[in-house]
Amino acid sequence: MEDETDLANFALDYAMKKGVSYAEARYEHQEQENFILKNGVLDALYVGQDRGVGVRVLVNGAIGFAATNLRTKSDVRAIVDDAIKVAKASRRKTKITFAHEDAIEMNWSIPEQRKLADVSVEEKIAEVQSVDRDLMALGLKIPARFFQFSDNRIVKFFANSEGSRIRSYSPRLRVFYFLTVTQDGQVEQTYRNYGWSGGWEGIAEWDLRKRVIDEAKSMQRSLVEGKKSPEGKMDLVAGPQVAGIASHESCGHPTEADRVLGREASQAGKSFIPPDGIGMRVGSEVVNVVDDPTVEHAIAYYRTDDEGVKARRRYLYKEGRVTEFLQNRETAAAMHTRSNGAARAVNYNVEAIVRMANTFVEPKDHSVDELLEDVKFGVYMKSFMEWNIDDKRYNAKYAGREAYLVENGEVKHPVRNTIIELTTPAFWSAVDAVGKDLDFEAGFCGKSDPGQALDASLGGPTIRLRNVYLR
Amino acid sequence: MEDVSSRIVEKAIGLGCQDAIADVVTNRSYQIRFAQNEAVISNRWRESTASVFFVYEKRVLASDIKDLSRADEAVERLVKIAKGSQQNPDYAGIADGPFRYARVRPDPKVLSLDEGGKYVEAAIGGATDEGAKECAGSFWKYEDEHFLATSNGVEGHDHRASLYLSIRALLSLESSGHGIACATRLSQFNPEKAGRKAGRIAALARSPKPGKAGRYTVVFDPLIFGSLTDQTGGRLGAWTVMAGLSPFGKKIGKKVASPQLTLYEDGSGESIARKRFDAEGVPTRRNVLVNKGVLKTYLHNTSTAKKFRTKTTGNAGLVSPDPHAIFVKPGDRSRDEIFSEVKDGLWLTNTWYTRYQSYVTGDLSTIPRDGIFHIRKGDVVEAWKDIRLTDNLLHLLKNIEALGDEPEQMMWWGEVSIPNSVPYARIKDVGITKSAE
Repeated sequence: MEDETDLANFALDYAMKKGVSYAEARYEHQEQENFILKNGVLDALYVGQDRGVGVRVLVNGAIGFAATNLRTKSDVRAIVDDAIKVAKASRRKTKITFAHEDAIEMNWSIPEQRKLADVSVEEKIAEVQSVDRDLMALGLKIPARFFQFSDNRIVKFFANSEGSRIRSYSPRLRVFYFLTVTQDGQVEQTYRNYGWSGGWEGIAEWDLRKRVIDEAKSMQRSLVEGKKSPEGKMDLVAGPQVAGIASHESCGHPTEADRVLGREASQAGKSFIPPDGIGMRVGSEVVNVVDDPTVEHAIAYYRTDDEGVKARRRYLYKEGRVTEFLQNRETAAAMHTRSNGAARAVNYNVEAIVRMANTFVEPKDHSVDELLEDVKFGVYMKSFMEWNIDDKRYNAKYAGREAYLVENGEVKHPVRNTIIELTTPAFWSAVDAVGKDLDFEAGFCGKSDPGQALDASLGGPTIRLRNVYLR
Repeated sequence: MEDVSSRIVEKAIGLGCQDAIADVVTNRSYQIRFAQNEAVISNRWRESTASVFFVYEKRVLASDIKDLSRADEAVERLVKIAKGSQQNPDYAGIADGPFRYARVRPDPKVLSLDEGGKYVEAAIGGATDEGAKECAGSFWKYEDEHFLATSNGVEGHDHRASLYLSIRALLSLESSGHGIACATRLSQFNPEKAGRKAGRIAALARSPKPGKAGRYTVVFDPLIFGSLTDQTGGRLGAWTVMAGLSPFGKKIGKKVASPQLTLYEDGSGESIARKRFDAEGVPTRRNVLVNKGVLKTYLHNTSTAKKFRTKTTGNAGLVSPDPHAIFVKPGDRSRDEIFSEVKDGLWLTNTWYTRYQSYVTGDLSTIPRDGIFHIRKGDVVEAWKDIRLTDNLLHLLKNIEALGDEPEQMMWWGEVSIPNSVPYARIKDVGITKSAE
């Protein structure tokens, strides 16, 4: 068994001797703990250690990729041969190139106040169980519930034939929960997803207990007091969770350059924004949506991407106009620009493609009360349950979970299943004010084939939309 | 590799576990992804993993051991962790072996296939012949080999190999079609046909007009009907029902679909998901899930079966039971009859992003993609765009009017995660909504 640095360097040397124009090796070691507490019972504990090497080469303008978890030089030699062989078999007419990047040497890691490795699995289980116990102590009818806890400690070593050598360590923590509350034959369901880059202190930062209990109480209230949501054109005040999903789905995805260029056409789809769409208006002048891998402790925090490019904040929409596409080196070359550090892979055994990191509406200065106070008639939708969007990212739907009627600036009774079904420009053009209460939730963003469900954050402050059709 | 499986199991039992399973899997799959009518990346994998399941006094632990050269060390570490975990009172053991398995061998021509470029070219050629300008998709040669051992006397070997191609053909951003080819035998693999279908739908979807909301009789192409049956099969796992993620809870013996629908799950049937045994080593078999509209069973492993006072259906995953492959019993209508009996309705060819407002009630919406057509008296009168199917899973199943007589195997990245063998279907009173003006 070889050291990861030796293996990566060996792979690069061997690939270059075979005549490739570019080679990179990505070693990754992931240590995971994951458990599900279903209806109060620990279903199963999953403990995994995954490590291996992926090699990507550029040969005759074609990309080949191969991966192995067998960490000997002979196995690495075999995957380099595989990658070169399959790349040569591609017979591309148009040649793929990568945009220029300077080589960098760097070590970075995310600090942990209390290391995840030092927290016993018993303590992790006990923490989630205590939240579950407090939830059940509310005395509500909760016929089905589950919590899924996971942590992942990711060590990476990236090396390429241009001289980059990057070592990194990312500890990540995540809790997903799903609740079903019933009352008099009616049912409300919800799920929430929180993520953290860092140590065990993330549990306290989330204030999971309060969030879960507040959510369950709001579900009960919706069942007891909830009325039919009004239909027609009215104002909408949308909370951080709604702003977050909208920024991810209708700002982040359509500005992924690989999607714009058609590389994802058969899977995650294309984009309503054309390749020459920079500057296109999609929202009002108060709308700034950013994707930023450098938000500290957000679950998709990183300092270098999986092509060895330094991370930075990207303005996707600025003052309501498309400002920047998310790029990796391949798409950047095709668009005659530079990568902005958006290449990510879920593990060593898949290619790095264009991905969002932490995507959110940039906060401004309104309080939630200020946003509500001059709404004569409308809905305050704090969270959603059902959502979807088409594959060009133009027609989106968000169905309310926790929502209230607003009359003359006052929040009244809950309203159930409010439906927002709008086009992307209709949604973002209706925004006239943006709050300051920035909050994030975690998500799994799906893309690529084989599928890569990747850590992402979705967030925003409360936003106000004027005169939109709701039902 | 048999030795590795057995050694892991013996080691875990030697360390005090009551139950142990090890499934050593070698993955030798190969893929070409293509876009803009050319390969964009080719991938190949060489991986070996032991998926393990250990139980110490009802403390259940699952893991994947990736470094098989240090398997003993890994087992020691995992059993130690299992001993510190908590009991699962619902755990009821694993199946008692040994079992006899069906003789299934992969096609040697599939195993020896080393280069997939010509299949990609055939699919793209088929699509462009029909008028497509841009094609994207994936070609896969799946190959994995399983060596299973359990502490209850199971020893199983299963070498699986199959071919798959998915192609989306486009004339423009809003004019597209999708085609699928699946086969376990090289002689049955027809990527050109998949390409031609995708290209034909794309050409027919030229210049689509905004659709209109309402309730319609809808012809479901096999790909989108496969999405519906995937949702159905996927929500019939006992774990899913217990977690509140299914509208089929407490509905065994009750009507959940039209009498037209008979749906079964069958890992032993002819499909690219064919396998000899489940994760406990139980031989796969045919399980009738819905018989003429009546729900017959959930899918079980040994533990969920005990909780539901029944027997395992041979659908164990390491933790929860899941379907291997779904089959819809074909109906009695030709494709032409399915269409010609529609006076005024829609034909949908694909969908994605199926999401629920309530899993318990089945209230959902999903976004049709690729060709969407308004049909009158069986003929396409117009291509549409920008609509959403907003309905309820049980309502859709109960309103199946007719099924075609020629099932096709479907599996797709978006919404058909497990192979589904499905015909054309016609469903009445389907809710269609669209974005507000």
